[in-house]
Amino acid sequence: MKTPSEDHDLIRYLDGEMSDTERASFEVRMAADPMLNSEVNMMQRMSADLRTHLPAEMPVPYADFFNSQIQMRISQEESVTLPVSRSWWFDWLRIPTLATAAAAVAIGGFMIVQNHDQPASNSIVHSIYVPNPTVRARSFHSDEAQATVLILDGVEAMPSDRQMVSFHIKRTETDQEMATTTLFGESGQVVAVVVKDSRNQPCLLSANPRG
Amino acid sequence: MKSTCILIFLTAALGCLKAQQPVVPVTGSLSPLKPATDGKVWGALVYATNDIKGLTGSTEVVPADFADIPSRLGKVFPYQRFEILGQHLQDVFREYESWVVPTKDLFLKVDSKGPADGGGMNLHLQFWRDQQVLVKTDAVLKEGSPLFIGGPKWREGQLLFVLVLQKSR
Repeated sequence: MKTPSEDHDLIRYLDGEMSDTERASFEVRMAADPMLNSEVNMMQRMSADLRTHLPAEMPVPYADFFNSQIQMRISQEESVTLPVSRSWWFDWLRIPTLATAAAAVAIGGFMIVQNHDQPASNSIVHSIYVPNPTVRARSFHSDEAQATVLILDGVEAMPSDRQMVSFHIKRTETDQEMATTTLFGESGQVVAVVVKDSRNQPCLLSANPRG
Repeated sequence: MKSTCILIFLTAALGCLKAQQPVVPVTGSLSPLKPATDGKVWGALVYATNDIKGLTGSTEVVPADFADIPSRLGKVFPYQRFEILGQHLQDVFREYESWVVPTKDLFLKVDSKGPADGGGMNLHLQFWRDQQVLVKTDAVLKEGSPLFIGGPKWREGQLLFVLVLQKSR
């Protein structure tokens, strides 16, 4: 039977968070404990299988529904006391829906932001989803700036020689039938049109192509 | 007539992309119908830098309603100069998506989720870089409380996206 601290060590080992000394010590324990060794091997295989079979980027279908289900699950989990004598890894995997959602969370970078004690006048970020696993997002409120801030760390830099194609848009018109949005400039001229491709991704057509 | 107008522009724009020649912009309104809206937002892409010589020379000016935005940015991001590259004043449509496109390079998709308790708007936002979505977020945007998004690094500084809910008039 493993104690909670052993569970914690196992997770840290699997996540590569141990120092060299800790890792060496843990591997000595693994060598002496066939059960522990077996569990580590199994978790590593499962992790590799997940990485192999799940795409690096997954669009979240029905994002609002997804968010509400996650929040509901978290509330349910918080109200349940789990026995400490069993590895939480296995409890987690015994809930099929939660296991799927949590995998998407880990790979897709979904995060629910806690907004306790926020004044009603502040803008609030409730949830963040980052498709690129190398990007980390965080949100906070700056009292000094009286602004809500969403920081994206790890986004690939724009090439220095890239020229920004800037607009000054005064109004837009949307054509539902053609799924286009036309952007009008200061003088009422059309400066760009947003169209969406078959994958529902936006494509901007402008009269000012990057030169 | 409306569809024809758009088709003419799309054809012209596609031709322009191919030939790299400027096109004569279409002017005027495409539709007499005004869809229902939940409010209006102002979005801007800002180049933040400490390198004064590296400024782009953009002539965009912050509207009077949002004149304090650069100083507020300075309280969050470690830069001294905040240059507006592009800006967009946009109605937030109630029944379908809205786009806030200050630049062709970085822009925002906005879906209204209705009024928020105590004022403001519930929004679903998607921050796009070309055809790649960088982040999706569910947020409440309140008057007087802008949302700053710290985006990619560029040149000697960083690109920031600002979204502000315009005050009800």
